[in-house]
Amino acid sequence: MWRIWLLAAAQFLGSLVGAILLVSLLPVIAHPPDGLWPFVTELAERFLKIGSGDFGRSAAGSPAMTSAWAAFPLTVQLLGLGVALALLMGISLGFLLSAPRAIRAAAPLLQIVTSVPVFLVGLALIWVATPSFHVITSADEPDLALSIMVRHGDWNSAWSAYFLPALTIGVAGAAHLQMSLRRAAAAAWMAPYRSGLRMMGLGLLDINLRFALPEIIAALLRDARGFILTLISATAIAEWIFHRNGAAVLFLNATASHDWAMATATLLLFAVFTLIVGFVGDLLASFIVPEDTL
Amino acid sequence: MSGSLSYFGAGRHVSNLEVVSRAAGVGGLGLLAVIVALNNVIARAPAGATYIAKRLLPPGSDAVMGSDALGRDIMSETVHALAVSFSSAAVSTAIAIFIGALAGFAAVRLPLRMGAAVRVISGILRMIPTLFLAVVLVALSSREFFAISVGLAICPEVFNAGFDRASSLARSRHAMYARASGIPGLTLLRRDLVYELRMNIVNVTGRALASSATILATISFFGFGAIPPHRDLGLLIAEAQTSYLSNWWCALFPALALVVLVLCARLAATDDSGQPS
Amino acid sequence: MSDAAALLRVRGFALKRSGDAKAEVEDLSFAIQARETLILLGDAGAGASAVMRFLAQVPDPGATLGGTIQIRDQPEQPLGKSRLDLRTAYLPGPHANILNPHESVVSQLALVIARKTHQPKASAAAELDLALQRLPGGPSLDALDQPPTRVAPEALAAGLLAAAMSQTPDLLLADDPLGQLSPAHARAFASALKAEQQRLGFAILYAALRADVARLLGGNLIVLRSGRLIEEGPVSRLATAQSHSYTQALFRASLPGDGLASVRAATRGEPLLRVQGVHLKLPGKVKDREKITFELRRGASLGLIGEIGSGRRSLTRALLGMEPLAAGRIVFDQVDIGVLSPAMMARLRRRVSFITGDDDALDPRMTIFDTVSEPLRAHLAMPRDSIAHNRDAALKRVGLAALPGSRTVASLAPFDRRRLQIARAIVSQPLLAVIDEPLHGLDAFAQSVVRDLLRNFRSNEGAAILFITSDFGLARAFCEDGLVFKDSRIVERGTMASLLRAPQDPHTRKLLEAVAALPVQSGTDIKPVAEDPVSSTQPPGG
Repeated sequence: MWRIWLLAAAQFLGSLVGAILLVSLLPVIAHPPDGLWPFVTELAERFLKIGSGDFGRSAAGSPAMTSAWAAFPLTVQLLGLGVALALLMGISLGFLLSAPRAIRAAAPLLQIVTSVPVFLVGLALIWVATPSFHVITSADEPDLALSIMVRHGDWNSAWSAYFLPALTIGVAGAAHLQMSLRRAAAAAWMAPYRSGLRMMGLGLLDINLRFALPEIIAALLRDARGFILTLISATAIAEWIFHRNGAAVLFLNATASHDWAMATATLLLFAVFTLIVGFVGDLLASFIVPEDTL
Repeated sequence: MSGSLSYFGAGRHVSNLEVVSRAAGVGGLGLLAVIVALNNVIARAPAGATYIAKRLLPPGSDAVMGSDALGRDIMSETVHALAVSFSSAAVSTAIAIFIGALAGFAAVRLPLRMGAAVRVISGILRMIPTLFLAVVLVALSSREFFAISVGLAICPEVFNAGFDRASSLARSRHAMYARASGIPGLTLLRRDLVYELRMNIVNVTGRALASSATILATISFFGFGAIPPHRDLGLLIAEAQTSYLSNWWCALFPALALVVLVLCARLAATDDSGQPS
Repeated sequence: MSDAAALLRVRGFALKRSGDAKAEVEDLSFAIQARETLILLGDAGAGASAVMRFLAQVPDPGATLGGTIQIRDQPEQPLGKSRLDLRTAYLPGPHANILNPHESVVSQLALVIARKTHQPKASAAAELDLALQRLPGGPSLDALDQPPTRVAPEALAAGLLAAAMSQTPDLLLADDPLGQLSPAHARAFASALKAEQQRLGFAILYAALRADVARLLGGNLIVLRSGRLIEEGPVSRLATAQSHSYTQALFRASLPGDGLASVRAATRGEPLLRVQGVHLKLPGKVKDREKITFELRRGASLGLIGEIGSGRRSLTRALLGMEPLAAGRIVFDQVDIGVLSPAMMARLRRRVSFITGDDDALDPRMTIFDTVSEPLRAHLAMPRDSIAHNRDAALKRVGLAALPGSRTVASLAPFDRRRLQIARAIVSQPLLAVIDEPLHGLDAFAQSVVRDLLRNFRSNEGAAILFITSDFGLARAFCEDGLVFKDSRIVERGTMASLLRAPQDPHTRKLLEAVAALPVQSGTDIKPVAEDPVSSTQPPGG
């Protein structure tokens, strides 16, 4: 087991170095120097600078990583709320629909729902919330934290600033999660050992709880990276539609304005975040269902 | 006393659900292709033509799908935008499959170090969301090449899927026996490509098309994609964002067209268990 | 078979699935007494598995049951109406798919015992340990505390047997556990099973594909075909005198067959394969590694005889340049393979074909036509017409010409896949054919057909043959010479005639004695070997 963890740690560090190299490439490609050797030299300089924490200054003049880091908590907050909603909706939907009859009945509806792009979900939520619940989405960034809004009963702000964006992210995450769940469940249901254990006297509940369920959970954990990538994309869309100044929309604006220092800093934050989530997911999965390789 | 194995779908029982879903998807894409090909005939006005009808007309006899703030016929705009979205998605899909999937298969046959290096690069690219990668590529190139940028952005994911599949085939027992009896690597590659294409091309293409269409529409919604007057569905919806709360038709019909495009692509890619992909 | 005081009596057992035109089982009646063995013999699809499933009380959705059942002195009741008041234990064959591949064998078996005997899992594990200790030479609990893929088949079989014994059943449902084992291990396992039966007093209902199992176990026999009873009686009578032609065919198919009629008839010229002083690179330290030296002439056949893990397959892989050598030299077709680049070695391997008992040896995606045509295209670069002609001829020879060529390998039964491998080997025109346990997993009829096809292949193609097997009967039928392997060493070598006439090594004698009805010449100085351990703890491989 320790060999697998050592390999995973090496892979993690290697991926981290790779991520730094990748983001170092952006400004160099954007303004490529003449000749191969100057290109390589500048790339190496950028890599070393970024590796030592120097991301340069943004177009606004502030240190890029400082601004990116300041905007990151909001993104993480929305992401966290989205994850909670995604788990709630996705897992219950996934298990409900894993029975064959339920699948057949719900398949057409499921196809339609999962075909809707995330930004349309956000727009639809606004369209429903505005006339029905009188939620007004504003282009101005709200001053207060969610907890304060709730304490003061400012539900309009809470909905427009947090809950609706989180719901947008949650729906995207739920769609991804229930598909992963159904794939994992289908693989577990078709496993050849089920009939053998059944003949040997184990009940279906035993087989499902003791063997199938850990495999399904492990499969979901191994897909943690894919799940978080879906949520990050959805967060960017949600921040854009609901006018939240998180790190995701900071990245989009920086890229649009060719502020490569800021784009590099935000992109690296997201890459490292994804890397950590994927690493943790793989480690947990290897605890639950040990595989020969991570 | 065990039954025969089913393997990668060959020889497996195909459910009715899978057949119907795939047929609906392929049929839908075919119909959309016809609409796209005849978009200049079906639409009553050229793309971007203003003041065809009164401004902000709701759907009715004057304008079947209504009109927007500039008097543009929503139905004509939707049809033209669908053509742009469909053709852009097709370009992105072709790039993703030829560079991504085929390269993924071929990379397994490369010498060990080269194959591992390619795999590592692809793995690094998969640490950032495809949407972000697409945005970066558009910003580094130009909005004119947004379809190509999206295709390249989808490549890492498709590459990895092809690489993983080819790796599992290369490690399989039948490949081991084939190598042990001197079957050349090129023959094995040909075998893999022919059979995987035969079995999975519709599946892979459908998935890539659905991803492409979604990402293209999203980056156009952000303003990184299509350039007027050649609007795609994402840009059309973005333009309707200021008024759709009261004039719902400005966004609804382009949105429906986009959902239908993505839905047909996903139905065509219904997976092996007959479940939606 | 006497019905008096029967443990179980079934009358008119019938099972039909909705949508099927024909019943899976029709009008089957039998009775079993305590301490008695009843064998249901028939090929795949004969109906034995349906009886097993019913008695294991595993619901069969969509199936209609008919008939009655009586347990001991209880009133006779219709089948399927209520739970059976009978303690049963299921004993499957030790293939890896029988258990979850991620969890340890001990954990899973202990859970089964715990559920069946309504005790905590820790107590169940202790019971399992005790049952393992009772098996002569059985594996330890620690040896089984691994995923099933890391446990040798013999050890897994012992674990499954111990788990069944821990349930103290009235009736043991044995789903051909001996069929997966080599003859030597099967013999030892059968002895252990009979000893446990005497100790615990349970009855055995055994579903068998081959008649040699019946000879090992004894008891009573019911021959099934397509769900109908063909013949029944004691094994002692039916083994020597069968009434029905189908029964005769089943027993005939289980015989080892005649040895090679001519010896060294086709050997000529230089040896095809010369192995000089080869050490295999194997994991772990092996003291005094023996240098392996032998040669194989063109057209000759050599048996590599030994159990799984004895080194036969490692040697074969080394011979083909697929594994590194620690020392030594291998000359194939007058070329020292040690000096060849991987590309040149691959070209050399074009003259090698494989026929194995591995169901995954062929690409399941490929069609029948493609599978046979591929060597013709890749190695011989033939024009299309010639490819089609050669392909069709080969398929006709193996009896697959009637199947549509566009059928995929995945849709074929193991018997058809085996024949397809032979067809592919025929068109390859090999110098060397490696035949590795070709009859593994086949029922009696399929085995007799494949045996005939292999004889035909050997006599017509003229290829030299390396025959890997643990069955001396099979080696005798196909090989002129033999090397007997144990623990990666050759313990004995010689012509098949000399090995049969006067085996010197105890391991050779053990392998010989494991093959029932193998004609050994009189006057042989073979002492009865003590009952051997049921299992080894060697991981599967080699």
